[in-house]
This record gives sequence, structure tokens and C-alpha cells, in this order.
Amino acid sequence: MIITDEEQRFELFLLGDDEKKCFETADTRTPNSSVFTFNKEDHTLANMLRAHLLKDPHIIFSGYKVPHPLFAKFELRIQTDGEVTPKEALLNCCKSLVTDLAILSREFTKEYELRKMVGGDSSGEK
Amino acid sequence: MDYDPMAMDTEAEGPSVKISDASAHHVNFELSSVDLAFANTIRRVIMAEVPTMAIDLVEVEANTSVLADEFISHRLGLIPLNSKNVDDVAYSRDCDQCDNYCEQCSVTLTLHARCTGDEIMKVYARDLVVDSQRPNNWVGNPVITDPDGLGTVIAKLRKGQELRLKCIAKKGIAKEHAKWAPVSAVGFEYDPHNKLKHIDLWFEKDAAEEWPPSKYASWEDPPQEGEAFDYDAVPEKFYFEVESVGNLDPDAIIQQGIKVVQEKLAAVIKDLTDGGSGGAAADFDGPRSPDMNMNGGAAASGWDQGYTTPFGTAAAGGSSGWGQTGAATPYGATPYGQNGSNGWN
Repeated sequence: MIITDEEQRFELFLLGDDEKKCFETADTRTPNSSVFTFNKEDHTLANMLRAHLLKDPHIIFSGYKVPHPLFAKFELRIQTDGEVTPKEALLNCCKSLVTDLAILSREFTKEYELRKMVGGDSSGEK
Repeated sequence: MDYDPMAMDTEAEGPSVKISDASAHHVNFELSSVDLAFANTIRRVIMAEVPTMAIDLVEVEANTSVLADEFISHRLGLIPLNSKNVDDVAYSRDCDQCDNYCEQCSVTLTLHARCTGDEIMKVYARDLVVDSQRPNNWVGNPVITDPDGLGTVIAKLRKGQELRLKCIAKKGIAKEHAKWAPVSAVGFEYDPHNKLKHIDLWFEKDAAEEWPPSKYASWEDPPQEGEAFDYDAVPEKFYFEVESVGNLDPDAIIQQGIKVVQEKLAAVIKDLTDGGSGGAAADFDGPRSPDMNMNGGAAASGWDQGYTTPFGTAAAGGSSGWGQTGAATPYGATPYGQNGSNGWN
């Protein structure tokens, strides 16, 4: 067996044996707040969730940190006004983002097909 | 901005796209009604997490060229391979048909070249022979776009030198190695007049004079003379320039990127909704690739308890890939609308 200190890059996106993608830890220092730990994710997901959560009127705080740059992991802290739990807020956020992405996909397809029909002969060739 | 109901209303309309230019290898578009974080996620995911095919293993039988085996292997890895409908290909590490690699999760390409003439011979990507045993009819073909149909140069051989090798191409993402990148570059620009002052332009005398305006500058109103700085302003329009390396069509790259983000979110939803029950051992039986649960047949492992219904339909929609038009996304039209009765609570 070769022993190496080279980083295994699939560790950036493959969950380990007993790892969960995401779990919640209650933050007891403040009311209605939780810290969600995401494994094998990076700023791609973190910043999108953070920004989208802030659009929810029930959210008082949302922010994330990457505890160490060499580990593919981030912690998202959410505090709500008490109307919804942080977990519900995060779930709503995820669902709304999935819907948004579906809209984006549809819009893009529509535009692209339109483009192909209009300018197919001139611009579609290699 | 205030949190008024109006803001939420515009949000409900969702992102909008305007394509300004497109060809077989690139697409330029303007994305609006989204925030910076969302646009940046699209950019990042396209660059790093859209799966493609690339040569990953090389078995060298004979190499009498001047280049070392590793050197040639590296060059082979960087050759773009057609990745149309890569969803048909399983990740080798998840493949349940084999221990190492097989026709379900890899494409074999062989190269046999020998220089017999007196002139230096060039070995091109077109000289790679693609094995017919492969998941679909496109996957693994070297991308050849030059008018002579040669493809990229792999090596040069002198008289008597020979190259005989077998390459195994696998599916992967650029986060693991850049050879799996579907794009050479993604242009990403917003606020061409720098009204938001996100950029601190370096200048000698006058920034406006020394920095030529971007081509998108004419698409937006220039700042008014003496206009006060708007502290509440946020970027609204994002100009993307997606440049494919040829293994995927530009629209496929974007659709795949969107799908990858949706899968990430679905994994989070799944974990948060049925989390706690069963424990880690029941939910996970080992490391897996990011989109494994989406690939229809591969979803047989214990991954999906409780989330089966949405993913079941997703697998049907997702397998036909990005070619489809209309409202059918990998998640169906309203993935979370009908959750009340069926399954995940």
C-alpha cells in the first residue's frame, strides 16, 4: 500500500461512512436558533442558502462559516422570530430554491429553443 | 430593502433568462431576478460539479516514444470526450455491476500507433479507437472540432517508435480533477458601471479613462452625474458567458448544473425530514457520488427511504436528460406540492 499525504479529492464531495449530509444542533445561547452542519458541501450551497434564508421575513439571522478550509464542511446558523423553527425555515428555503431552479431551467430551455428556431442556421453551426 | 410582501411577490416569479448569443460551443445569457449568491452558485456548479467523461486509467503496453508513460497518460486525460447523456453512465465507484470498471461505468479507448516512415508522425485524438461496448452511442468519443478532423495531438513519433495503450474513460466531476470540467471558462459579470462599488479600480489618473467599459456597459444606464450612492442597491443582472470544451452542449451544461444544485438541496431536505430515524447505518451504506440517487436504476441502495416518491418521479424525468423542453424538470413540475399524503413527513 502506498502511503501518501496527497489529499484525496473525492473526499471533497463523497460522504464518509457514517456521515450525514446535514444535521441540526440546537444553539442554546439564543432562543429559536440552530446550527446546521453540512458535510461535503462548500460555499456553492452555503452562500445560496444563507442569502435565500434572509429573504424569509421570519428569519432574524442567517450566516455560515467554513470551520477549516481543508475540510469540505460548513456550518449554517439560523435564528428565527419564533413563528417557525429554524429547521422549518431551512426546509422552506430549500424547497423554494428547488422551485426557483426549476423555473430557471424552464426559462432557459424556452429561451434556448427560441434562439435555435430563430438563428439556427447562422449561429448554430460549428 | 424592506421585507414587504411585494418583495416576496417578485420573488415568486422566479429567475428570468435572456440569451444574447449562442453557438454549438458557447452561450451568453443574462440572468435576472435572482440574487448574487444564486447566480454565483450556478457559476460555481457549472465549473466544478457537472459530470463529464475523461480518460482516468491508462494501461501502457508499449511506449517507445520520447515521452514518459505518465506524461502521455496526463495528456490523454485532458482530451475532451463527448459526454452526451452521461446520466447513462454510472460512477465507477458506485457501480454495482463490477468491482473495478465495466461497460456500465466506463468506456475503453485503445491507441495503437507506430511510425514506419522517415518523417515525424503525429498521433492525434482521432487515432483513439472507441470500444463499442459502452453505455450509449456518444459517450467517450474524442471531441474533434478542427476542420481536418484530427483532434488534439497526443504525441509525436519518430521512425520505429511505437505507442500501444488502453485507456479507460470514466465519469467524474471537475472538483476531483479539472480534466472533467465541461467548460473552459464561465464569464460572470454584473454591474458594468461599478455603481455598487464592488470593485476598487486601480488607476493612475482617472479610472474612467483607463478602464475601458465592458461590452455590457451599454446594456445598463450609466450613473448620473452627481448621483448619490444607493446603499440599498443590490446587483440585479448577471451576464454569463459559458464556453464549452466540446464534451457537452452549452445548454446541457447549464441544465445539468441546475440539476446538480437541485440534487444537493434534495439531499438536505431528505436528511432534515427523515433525519434521526434509523440512524446513519440505516440511511447510508457507504460513500457515494453526489447524484447517485438520481440515476434511476442505481437508486436501489437504502438511500431513499421516505423520499422515494419525489425521487421516483425524478428518476423517470431525469433519465431522459436535458434534451426535453417545457416544464419537465428533473423534479417534475411541482415537486413539493403533493407531499401531504405520500411519504416523507
